[in-house]
Amino acid sequence: MNELTPHSFYRTTLYHTNCRGYFYHLLASSVVVIAVALLWVPTPSYASEDQSYQALRNWIDNPSAGAPATPSQHFTLSDREAVLEALIPQTAWKYYFFDDMDMEIAATRHYPAPDDWGKNMAPDYTMDEDGTLTGFTGGGYPFTKINADDPQAGQKVIWNMLWRPGQNDYDMPMVTWLRSESGKLDRIMEYTSVNATYALGDRSLVPGYEEVKSKQVMEFRSPRDMAGAKDMSISYVDHHRENSGWVYMPEQRKPRRTLASERTGELMGMDMIREDNNGFGGKVYENNWEYLGKRKVLATTNVKTNPEFGGPSQWVPHKTRWEVRDTHVVLIKPKADNHPYSARIVFVDAETYWTHWMFAFDKKDDQLLRMNQHFLKYSEDYDTEPPTQAPFIKQDFSKSVGHQVFLHLGETDINAKKPHATMTHCYTNKREFESAKAKQFYSLRNMISGRR
Amino acid sequence: MQSRYRLAKILVLLFPLLFISKSWAIVDLREDFEIEGYIKQMNIIQSHDFFDDAKLTAQRNTAQLEGKYYFLRNGTLFNNWSNNFFDSATFTFLARGVYDSAYDIRDSYDVLNDRGKDEYKIRESFIDFVKAPYSLRIGRQQVVWGETDNFRALDIINPLDLSWHGTRESWEDIRIPLWMARGIMDIGKIGPFDESFLELIFIPDDFKETKVATKHPRPWAFRGIGLQDVDANSILIGDTLHDLNVTVIDGKPSHNLSNAQGGARFKAIWNDIDFSLNYYYGFAQTPGVKLRSAGLDDMGVFQTVVKTEFPRMHVFGVTANYSDDRYTQSVFRVESTITKGIPVSIAPPGASSSLDSNGDGYDTAKQSVVMLGIDRPTWIPALNKLRTFFLSTQFFWRHYLDYSPHMQGNAFYAVEEAWVNGQVVPDRYVSTNDDKIDQDEFVFTFSASTTYGRAGLWKPLFVFAYDPRSTGAYNKIQMEYLYSKHLVFRAEQHLYWRTSDDDVGPWGLGDYLARPGIRRNETVLTATFQF
Repeated sequence: MNELTPHSFYRTTLYHTNCRGYFYHLLASSVVVIAVALLWVPTPSYASEDQSYQALRNWIDNPSAGAPATPSQHFTLSDREAVLEALIPQTAWKYYFFDDMDMEIAATRHYPAPDDWGKNMAPDYTMDEDGTLTGFTGGGYPFTKINADDPQAGQKVIWNMLWRPGQNDYDMPMVTWLRSESGKLDRIMEYTSVNATYALGDRSLVPGYEEVKSKQVMEFRSPRDMAGAKDMSISYVDHHRENSGWVYMPEQRKPRRTLASERTGELMGMDMIREDNNGFGGKVYENNWEYLGKRKVLATTNVKTNPEFGGPSQWVPHKTRWEVRDTHVVLIKPKADNHPYSARIVFVDAETYWTHWMFAFDKKDDQLLRMNQHFLKYSEDYDTEPPTQAPFIKQDFSKSVGHQVFLHLGETDINAKKPHATMTHCYTNKREFESAKAKQFYSLRNMISGRR
Repeated sequence: MQSRYRLAKILVLLFPLLFISKSWAIVDLREDFEIEGYIKQMNIIQSHDFFDDAKLTAQRNTAQLEGKYYFLRNGTLFNNWSNNFFDSATFTFLARGVYDSAYDIRDSYDVLNDRGKDEYKIRESFIDFVKAPYSLRIGRQQVVWGETDNFRALDIINPLDLSWHGTRESWEDIRIPLWMARGIMDIGKIGPFDESFLELIFIPDDFKETKVATKHPRPWAFRGIGLQDVDANSILIGDTLHDLNVTVIDGKPSHNLSNAQGGARFKAIWNDIDFSLNYYYGFAQTPGVKLRSAGLDDMGVFQTVVKTEFPRMHVFGVTANYSDDRYTQSVFRVESTITKGIPVSIAPPGASSSLDSNGDGYDTAKQSVVMLGIDRPTWIPALNKLRTFFLSTQFFWRHYLDYSPHMQGNAFYAVEEAWVNGQVVPDRYVSTNDDKIDQDEFVFTFSASTTYGRAGLWKPLFVFAYDPRSTGAYNKIQMEYLYSKHLVFRAEQHLYWRTSDDDVGPWGLGDYLARPGIRRNETVLTATFQF
């Protein structure tokens, strides 16, 4: 509290008789202190691993036959070569293999989609030459089968991912931790996202809004310099139409229109860009696509609860449950010359179409730039092993049971070049809006004022 | 001492909050009651040369506490009674205590008699009721209309407190909240419009004027270019200098329902254009001055009686914004108003019989405003490889529709030494109104911000404003550092300069604000403890 007391600051600086000398002395002292501090701060030692694009392609194209991962096993670093290297993409080894690592293995399960999934779809949709899905309005997967020989298989996987069940319709309180390589916590943020699917196949959640795919409102709770900031975004069925967005800043006391087409800048200091959202959050027609086949990977696909973070930097999930999953591997290459990525490779679950792993490579040197990995939970397991409650709100998780969807419990996003990471816990609970409430809640009227 | 004692009381009251679990976030005192706030110290140093003639002009210590009480949720009132009439209801308050310790540091502030030294207020307190599709906010509050940042066209519902740092602070902190009711009816899709709603504002009798300081040595006293530390005490008639005595009658609207103010706004989206139509009926918040009588009395003193006038004002406005993702990757903002009832002075009184038929040196004018703004997240890889810069620019044009060269404003009165027959008369000072009005007034603004550091904790901001008529300009260079979840540090440098001429201009920009006696080149250092 001393630095906030009123008088001391100026008495010792501005009114110092030799102000300039004092200033330089202070400056020199500060530089020395900072330099010493930087030298002292320990940095974790990671094993030297090949994180290049080519190394990952080799790992994908030449699968090694590791020992089987048996349910109930706990894998540690000693199992790395025998089992884990075959199941965790090579680019992630540097972060996911560490001294006291503990990975619990669960049996690979079948996770049924909602009972009415695929039964209420509007049938008239097509895919353009550039891979854009036209006329699709949800209610099921647009492509029930992925044929490896199909030249548009990659795009079809991504369309299934973008329209998967459980993609929307939730209350999602979140806590995000931003950590440096030393493990130092740089920032914590708390916020809540509420999201509703409008495009329900043969109908819209709110009649008259047939052009809308989904709407989302996100509001920050902390830190105080962000508290009360909220954002509403509308995504459209027409993939060529950019999202509409508004942000309300308490400091301005009014909403401000935002631009959706800028998707490659880091968001709010986090180690992700908008295009990284769920593995791929961009425009299909802005990329070239290649389907790389199927690979089995370990995934935190149905964790018991929000995982703790471990590793030398506390960047990756630790002491949590993993499952061997079949995934579609898709290579995405941005068409734009000024895009930061040369390539992005995503591993999308072959049954549920949730993204498990995403690796994006720097256009400058084809080395890893960013990656993310996701933690999921099947709604029907909320009954027997409910996830953790958010630190700032208590939810009735029983509301999630019966929907037969996956809910997003978090992710880790790593920027390998900084290096730095953002870890998020989502305390997601399924929510279904009534039409009238959705109309009121997701409205511009709701954006003209906030908590202050 | 009394004010410091009160501040100490506030700090003591806030202190336990720091130990509440997770107090860095919004603090949940109960499941339905949450608070947040901050303690801040802001030091303002005015100088030409930081090392040689820096003067601490403000050391503003602020404690702010904000609270929200959800007293009707999920059909339950006060956690006890069933209520299905409203969907939800909340009570919000925002209280602020301010103590400027510069008043106790600087001897020269003794003449101010502590005016502006402290402030202890519940600034905002309102209740929100929601019953879809209606919502109603009743209480003391701020309402912001329009697309313009930091210039006034439609953002005129709440007056501003310019007394302690002009318009240089966040307007959220300098708007003067008013008691009012704000009702909104959500319409949604109607005809070609989407996301439409109708908003009504009603202010029964709470009129407040924009607050300015005029007393030297307050650092943001609004005065003309002339002498700053003396007031006019004389008037020159012919070659004779007379004592001057000015009596001001306060013409502020009284607390009376006949002095109600209000407005309406229809906002919607049409073809991806987010637009609004606005009308506001209120009072001018900066007064005009009407001459009631003037003349020499028996003692040879020039007696002047003036009355401040706050005329009724009609404001018609339209706003629009459009996000162009395809060609420019920019958001375009437009705001335009026509205002009737702007108070102006007519100089000399009676100079224009059409404008000043009463010879009282006072009239009202019609004014239009057009603002064009562009926001653009922009990559500048040479300066930041990770994140875009947010660039925002505005062109603001104010035009007097019934302009006369006899019109003057009322903000800047220059005080000069009295000269008689080529000689300075000691201790005698005269004033002239140097608040020139041009038919067309322009200002251009530009700002750029981004974040640096691995977690984006360093937040620089650059602001530039330029008045092409007066050639006056203003720059702000700011760096904010989010040191921890609690502590935020900020350093700002404000610079005023011009390219030519000596015109004050209507916006308070330019190098005259950097001159000795008036100087407002400032270094601002702020530390905030937030919770």
